[in-house]
Amino acid sequence: MKGIWIAFATVIAAGIVVGGTVSYALMTRDEEVKSIRLATTTSTYDSGLLDYILPVFEDEHNCDVDVIAVGSGQAIELGKNGDVDVLLVHSPAAEKDFVATGYGESRTLVMYNNFVIVGPSEDPLVTENAKNASDAFQRIYDNGTVGMAKFVSRADNSGTHSKELTIWSTLGYSKTQVAAFSSSWYIQSGQGMGAVLDMCEELDAYTLSDDATYYQRMDENIIPHLNMTYSGDSALFNQYSVIPVNSTMHKHVNHTLALAFKEWLVSEAGQDLIASYEKYGHQLFFPNATPQTVSVASSVTSEMMEVDRSVTRVSSPRAIFPWMDVLPFHPVR
Amino acid sequence: MVSTGNELLDVTLLSLYVSGMATILGSAIGIPLGALIGLKEFGGKGAVKTLTYTLYGFPPVLSGLVVYYMFSRAGPLGDLGILFTPTAMIIAETFLVIPLVTGITITSVVEVDRSIKDTVKALGASPSQSIITVMREAWVGLVMACMIGFGRVIAEVGAAYLVGGNIDGETRVLTTAIMLETRMGHFEWAMSLGIVLLSVALMVFLFLRLLQEREML
Repeated sequence: MKGIWIAFATVIAAGIVVGGTVSYALMTRDEEVKSIRLATTTSTYDSGLLDYILPVFEDEHNCDVDVIAVGSGQAIELGKNGDVDVLLVHSPAAEKDFVATGYGESRTLVMYNNFVIVGPSEDPLVTENAKNASDAFQRIYDNGTVGMAKFVSRADNSGTHSKELTIWSTLGYSKTQVAAFSSSWYIQSGQGMGAVLDMCEELDAYTLSDDATYYQRMDENIIPHLNMTYSGDSALFNQYSVIPVNSTMHKHVNHTLALAFKEWLVSEAGQDLIASYEKYGHQLFFPNATPQTVSVASSVTSEMMEVDRSVTRVSSPRAIFPWMDVLPFHPVR
Repeated sequence: MVSTGNELLDVTLLSLYVSGMATILGSAIGIPLGALIGLKEFGGKGAVKTLTYTLYGFPPVLSGLVVYYMFSRAGPLGDLGILFTPTAMIIAETFLVIPLVTGITITSVVEVDRSIKDTVKALGASPSQSIITVMREAWVGLVMACMIGFGRVIAEVGAAYLVGGNIDGETRVLTTAIMLETRMGHFEWAMSLGIVLLSVALMVFLFLRLLQEREML
């Protein structure tokens, strides 16, 4: 009989230890310095930007910013469920929907960077001479279908993937048609941006990438056989926005701090800090906060930008986007 | 989180804490459950065993998703606010340990020699005494069950990433750190972290092997 009591006591003791630790973990969580949770896309975190700018905000407000870096879709889902306090994402259509359905309080533009076409450094298709992004894609398609080139697609419903599909659509290929491209040249990876660049390095393939991830990998000499073979089309613009989660919908969110974070990001100090972040000798993100918050229902500025972007291929991009003067818009080599 | 000031040490300790707790909790549930299923005769026993073995293949990401929905603010237990904490990771990983420990316990107690069970009974042991005797005989298998359970969760990344969020200094464990470094293209760092993980696992397994051979308790 003694044995069973020892076993019983062991289980109870284990239970106490576990229960104690669990409640300890629960208690300390709430009594720690105040903190907010930021759901963001992998590009802002993996490029090192957040590690560069967040400590300044954390010092100023004596708080912790807990970063959860996931895909855009997952980040927005976390916001919808009220599991994070604020979002920093780059998926305009989904963001507007997020605000319009009441999950997000408001959408404020913070910064942008650019999508670029990356390919083998010899650039056999000379996409660097392409007239625009669509033309570059046409060259890749023409050569791909005859076995002369490869293209790796994110194929993961990310912001980058939807940008890629938009470009294919200018050539008349629907989402379904693109998905049916032959796998002999069109590789649908389902991977993140970094992994796709690594695949291109191995396969001598082309891809559409955000320039931050590209420069980060160039900076660390991870993709020595690749080069930015085309950039500069205003169609390749990539906007990041900050969205505090609506506190009337989710009462527990740390709304005060989330708002403070938004205000700080678009403040002169925040914007200057973003502008000063460099990798591979290039500025990775270009601050472009609008003075006033753009709420989606009446977002004149934002809607105009959407419309403008679709016509800038024929008019001068710089006339519509004065801030474009700071862009590194030129073929790399 | 308790911090030692050394990031690698913090991450390693959190890995040990999360997988250790999940193993303890999972074994505390799985061993009695396995003994019950293994030693007691009841209708549908075969089906229960098959279900247990099926759950060996329970995908970590799925366990993470279930726990996410349970503890999300939009979910039934959202008010506890434990999503993106080590506690949530422990719960998700406990679900992964339970079937393994239960299944291996069933096998271990069933394999204890029939004659031992009969002898114990013939000597007039009470049911609880005979259970203790059988469990002692099955000791090696029970420790093995804990080892396999621990091995599964310390190497697991899907659930840890989903319900932990890989937050620096809060919920980053070795496996999610490996994933992050890989994603960032730091393959060498990722490899080094992998070696750290294996070394830690080696130490834990050496300790458990010692337990197994000494036949303590």
